[in-house]
Amino acid sequence: MVPGDRIVEGNFRPLFNVIRAGNSIVATRIGIAEAGREGVKVIPLSGIYIPRVNDIVIGKIMDHSSLSWGVDINSCFSAHLPAQDVFGRDFSPARDDMGRELAIGDLITARIVAFDRTRDPMITIQDKDLGKVPRGELIKISATRVPRLIGKRGSMIQTIEYATHTRVLIGQNGIIVVTGRDLEGIKLAVRAIRMVEEEAHTANLTQRVKTLLGVSDSSPSDTSHVAQPQNEVGEELNEVEKEEKI
Amino acid sequence: MSSSKRSTIIVEHLRKQQMWESISKGKRLDGRDLDQIRPIEIEVGLIKKANGSARVKLGNTEVVAGVKVETGEPFEGLENKGALILSAEVLPTASPYIEPGPPDEETVELARVVDRGIRESEMLDLTKLVLISGETVYVIFVDCSVINADGNLFDATSYAVVSALLNSKLPVFEIRDRKVVDTGEKQNPPITTLPVSITAVRIGDSIILDPTAEEEACMDSRITITTNSDHNFAAIQKGSTGAFTVEQLKRAAATARIKGEEIRVKIMELTKPGK
Amino acid sequence: MTQTRSLIDENGKRTDGRTRDQLREIKITAGVIKNADGSAFIEFGMNKIVVAVYGPREVHPKHMALADRCVLRCRYHMCPFSTDTRKNPAPSRREVEISKVMREALEPTLMLEDYPRAAIDVYVEVLQADGGSRCAGITAASVALADAGINMRDMVSACAAGKVDDRIVLDINDTEDKEGDADMPVAYMPHLEQVTLLQLDGILNEDQFNQCLDDAVNGCKMVYEFQRKALMQKYFGNETELKEEQ
Repeated sequence: MVPGDRIVEGNFRPLFNVIRAGNSIVATRIGIAEAGREGVKVIPLSGIYIPRVNDIVIGKIMDHSSLSWGVDINSCFSAHLPAQDVFGRDFSPARDDMGRELAIGDLITARIVAFDRTRDPMITIQDKDLGKVPRGELIKISATRVPRLIGKRGSMIQTIEYATHTRVLIGQNGIIVVTGRDLEGIKLAVRAIRMVEEEAHTANLTQRVKTLLGVSDSSPSDTSHVAQPQNEVGEELNEVEKEEKI
Repeated sequence: MSSSKRSTIIVEHLRKQQMWESISKGKRLDGRDLDQIRPIEIEVGLIKKANGSARVKLGNTEVVAGVKVETGEPFEGLENKGALILSAEVLPTASPYIEPGPPDEETVELARVVDRGIRESEMLDLTKLVLISGETVYVIFVDCSVINADGNLFDATSYAVVSALLNSKLPVFEIRDRKVVDTGEKQNPPITTLPVSITAVRIGDSIILDPTAEEEACMDSRITITTNSDHNFAAIQKGSTGAFTVEQLKRAAATARIKGEEIRVKIMELTKPGK
Repeated sequence: MTQTRSLIDENGKRTDGRTRDQLREIKITAGVIKNADGSAFIEFGMNKIVVAVYGPREVHPKHMALADRCVLRCRYHMCPFSTDTRKNPAPSRREVEISKVMREALEPTLMLEDYPRAAIDVYVEVLQADGGSRCAGITAASVALADAGINMRDMVSACAAGKVDDRIVLDINDTEDKEGDADMPVAYMPHLEQVTLLQLDGILNEDQFNQCLDDAVNGCKMVYEFQRKALMQKYFGNETELKEEQ
């Protein structure tokens, strides 16, 4: 689909990246259209990350005021992490040194707790498995490819992790950190991730990734599935949380 | 007034660490050796309205240069020479951090350093571009536009200028009845030498050539060295707020002569007519 | 405008050999600038134009942000070597006006309400100009905006028609622009069938105006096919590769 392309005619419910134009549902972005019982949507193939509440993201500390850190989450909206989130309710700028906790350039795994049209996203690092990312190889991919990288119920990323003996931390915003014991494994994992990013829209991707990793195809057939749609937050959150362990 | 500023690109600590570790082991994050220059692509003659043009890609850094020839008054004090005017612009297409507007100090430095390399090496014999001494001379404009910025704008821009000049066909002007007339014929520019610029940056104790934007964001200091076809130095500029040891500078200079020649051969190869 | 020579010969051929209703050669490539969020390169006749889109992204300075929608900023700029006589790099009044009409041609299609307090920057750089550069620029900008994944109601395609030797012709070239009677650039949304840019330079009577407009709109529809091809080429390869659906 290309913006303006007609997807279906008739009384369908517009879901994501589509609008109603007269009697048709029309695509508003480049992507792959899907029409089902719940409605019509387009899985986008390009575009920056737009934050959603409850997304897990990996952000970079950019600066801080006396009350919060400014965090780059690879979006047009920058996030803020309140000092209280880290120091507790009785935070005092005079006593608690923000720069020592989190310095400019540090990476953190965080969850988006609030975001609406009138305010920039607010994040927290208080949940389990959130916080500073101390080590690992950093890569950035297009946020639109993240669902494909995770795969159906985590299948794609697990395949990569097992074959390369690495742990891959994936932010919904396209920021990824790979950790592992040996450099070769990490390099191979990075190559596999890049392959998924570039060929996300093609068929037989899983097969090609497995070939790259040197994995035999004896594992239960994993039908190359259309990337999990972005509205099923619950299920998606599950998948992402699985990948959180460092 | 020039003020010190924080780098616009904040490189993640993890990434900086990766870079330092990798470089200390002799390789860069993109897999290159410390003294390895990115692949160079050169396309010449793409701008038909210009007298000469070139599009250079140095890795992902992309620069287009165009040559336009007019006539006009010579520079003061240089009555017997044609005028060469070089300008550079980093287009806002080049990176998220560029805003449209008058050139900032980085861009001014870029234009002047590239200009110096071309001028001091006397790539063009400007004495051959005079019509009436002291009154009317050829004015050669070389304008450069950086289309995508991924580090080492100095070298990419310099190669683009050199390639565009090599590709140029100048009009042949004459004075008839005290007026400048374009005879309609074309001539090759009076080229005497091929200046090649090589830029190196210091990261920690290592010197690497042809930095990417990310490497520039992590660098301590930078040096750009231009050599001519006789392997002599024509222009040098140290940049950024760090320092070099004398030993490092001498080594960089020696490398610039060797690498300069490699690039020189490549430029001549890629700008041959019929490419 | 006095004519010094005939621009259409006895066989109906124009100065560059085209017939009355023939478009110049068009080539469009999407995604040519690595650093940009979206980009395109167009060759339209002798026009060579590169467009980069950055956005949606944070607005600087902050006070320029709009609370409920995105700010669109558009810059049309000609490189000094792009014209017969060298052009001074500083913006001319013509460039200022063209920047404005370009923005107004693109804005109707962009769903700016989706990105409050952000900005989208469109940079149109003319490397070589040949009559109709604003149409070529808008055409490429539309591709670049789609490449950037920005929500759009439709693509915007642009083409000019004009009057030369008292005849209406499609897609004016440089000579026809300088020596002809009238020049009418048009930008058009092909699915929504609406005109977003219309200018006229020269004299046309009512019939000529109607014909010119019709011809230009047809030209826009032909241009659309090239835009579509460029995007399909980048995102879907040479053949559409379908993912296996569940």
